[in-house]
Amino acid sequence: MTEPRPRTDVLPATGASIIETRGLSKVYQSASAPIEALADISIDVRPGEIVAFLGPSGCGKSTLLEILAGLISPTSGEVTIDGQPPRPRAEVGLMFQQALLFPWRTVLANVLLPAELREKTDRDWKARAHELIAMVGLEGWAEKYHWELSGGMQQRVALARVLLLDPEILLLDEPFGALDEMTRETLDLEMMRIASDAGKTVVLVTHNVYEAALMCDRIFVFTPRPGRIVGVVEIDEPQPRGLAFSTTTEFGERVAQVRGLLSGDSDE
Amino acid sequence: MSERTATKDPVTDKPVVQAGGLDSGWKERSIGPIGAIILAVIFVVTVELLVLNEILNDIIVPRPTDVFSALITTLSEGFFYRHLWVTTLEVLIGFVVGTALGFALGALLGISRRARAISYPYVVAFQGLPKVVLAPVFITIFGFGIESKIVMAIAISFFPVLINTMAGLTGVDPQARRLMRSLNASEWHIFTKLSLPSSLPLIFAGIKTGLTLALVGAIVGEFVGAESGLGYLLDVYSYQLEIPRVWAITTILAAMGVILFLFIEWVDRKVVFWQSRRELSTGM
Ligand SMILES: Nc1ncnc2c1ncn2[C@@H]1O[C@H](COP(=O)(O)OP(=O)(O)OP(=O)(O)O)[C@@H](O)[C@H]1O
Ligand SMILES: [Mg+2]
Repeated sequence: MTEPRPRTDVLPATGASIIETRGLSKVYQSASAPIEALADISIDVRPGEIVAFLGPSGCGKSTLLEILAGLISPTSGEVTIDGQPPRPRAEVGLMFQQALLFPWRTVLANVLLPAELREKTDRDWKARAHELIAMVGLEGWAEKYHWELSGGMQQRVALARVLLLDPEILLLDEPFGALDEMTRETLDLEMMRIASDAGKTVVLVTHNVYEAALMCDRIFVFTPRPGRIVGVVEIDEPQPRGLAFSTTTEFGERVAQVRGLLSGDSDE
Repeated sequence: MSERTATKDPVTDKPVVQAGGLDSGWKERSIGPIGAIILAVIFVVTVELLVLNEILNDIIVPRPTDVFSALITTLSEGFFYRHLWVTTLEVLIGFVVGTALGFALGALLGISRRARAISYPYVVAFQGLPKVVLAPVFITIFGFGIESKIVMAIAISFFPVLINTMAGLTGVDPQARRLMRSLNASEWHIFTKLSLPSSLPLIFAGIKTGLTLALVGAIVGEFVGAESGLGYLLDVYSYQLEIPRVWAITTILAAMGVILFLFIEWVDRKVVFWQSRRELSTGM
């Protein structure tokens, strides 16, 4: 085992964090008993950082992401994005496991959706959409419908759509989780390159330890119900990374460390 | 979104929408129509022979050739077109108004949880009601003219549209709603750009059922009390035991139903163009 690392989930209050939560909790009121989804979540994410929320199914990862996206409000605690309470806005992009392309829209029309909803006419969105479609490797597919696309291609479209308004923060809920291993890896690496090139802050929700260790600067490890953070693992390797990183000892050690936290015998 | 159960192909038990898209080779596709025609010919010839040889009484079942000549006579008589026009008008007005009403009420119930809760008992009661019993009531209220038949056609055809519109709007993928909300979409945008289009397949299934029912409503209304219309004509001929005429009118009504149905199916395919494609692509 490596030597104990200092807790890094809460950074010193420098005011430099772009995402900040303090003592956040969420209780769902259901018909029978209330469901405690999250308890005492305190995290800080620095601008430009790529972090993972990693934990078993049902530990509240999606719930936390929805809070950060401003779709639901926490039961107690504080949360700020860029110093403001979360709300749906152009600076924050949310992406899901399903591509959620509208079948009555072409690839291009799907990618344009965010600009259309905000009734933005301040720039040539069509040109930007075409650029993004090319960037995710779908040049020439703009006028196709989703049934002509494979699962991986559909997710590329979803990626182009979330990038349209050029959000500073990307909240990704298992974005490639429904895809096969190889496609997922490819898309992960591409996305990491796009995000780190543009200096975006990324929160990646996953239950894949390797995916988290390969892509992220820090991994927040969650316990199940109610979701709490049991530990944070920092990975010192510059972005963007390549697949080769997954063969290094640093990678192996970090994976082992995360596994330790997940199975409960943490070194805290 | 495969729950378009309202209209099924009786042969394959697959929703009718995918009939054209379901590609199982040219052989099967051409065997269908050719087989159907052969079956019709066999049936007609058999009946003709049975009646000719007096195994079947021609008061009960007329000879197909007699039906055919009655059909020609009917189509060459001027007054027939007046009756055809009346029934067509009743069906079309009833269908259009019924569909509009069904859509409006269904949309209201689909959007408002409160409206749904309040109207639920009435919806269930109306669903259970055999709507043809309303015909005498409407005739008492609206008289023997065209109005009572239109009201009947509306009453019987609006309901499937209402139910399917409501089901479509309440069944929108919650994850897609979440996506829309994360993009800061207004409620109006969520309705027009997500809920409504994603409900269209189901709404059109309701409209197709409604169209068939509008025809039923108009004819039932004419049976119960009318001075014109194909249902009225049918009633008169069967009193006069003009059985070939009865069958001729029935054939015309069937043709009318088929033409209307094919038309609405064509519109469906144009509007909900993605539906059959999606089913095709997922191999369902
Ligand atoms: N709208 C809701 N109403 C009631 N309970 C909910 C709701 N959404 C989530 N929950 C509950 O909260 C808990 C956390 O759910 P959440 O979806 O955040 O987990 P998750 O970590 O994303 O799981 P997975 O990895 O399976 O996606 C679960 O026990 C779930 O049943
Ligand atoms: Mg989840």
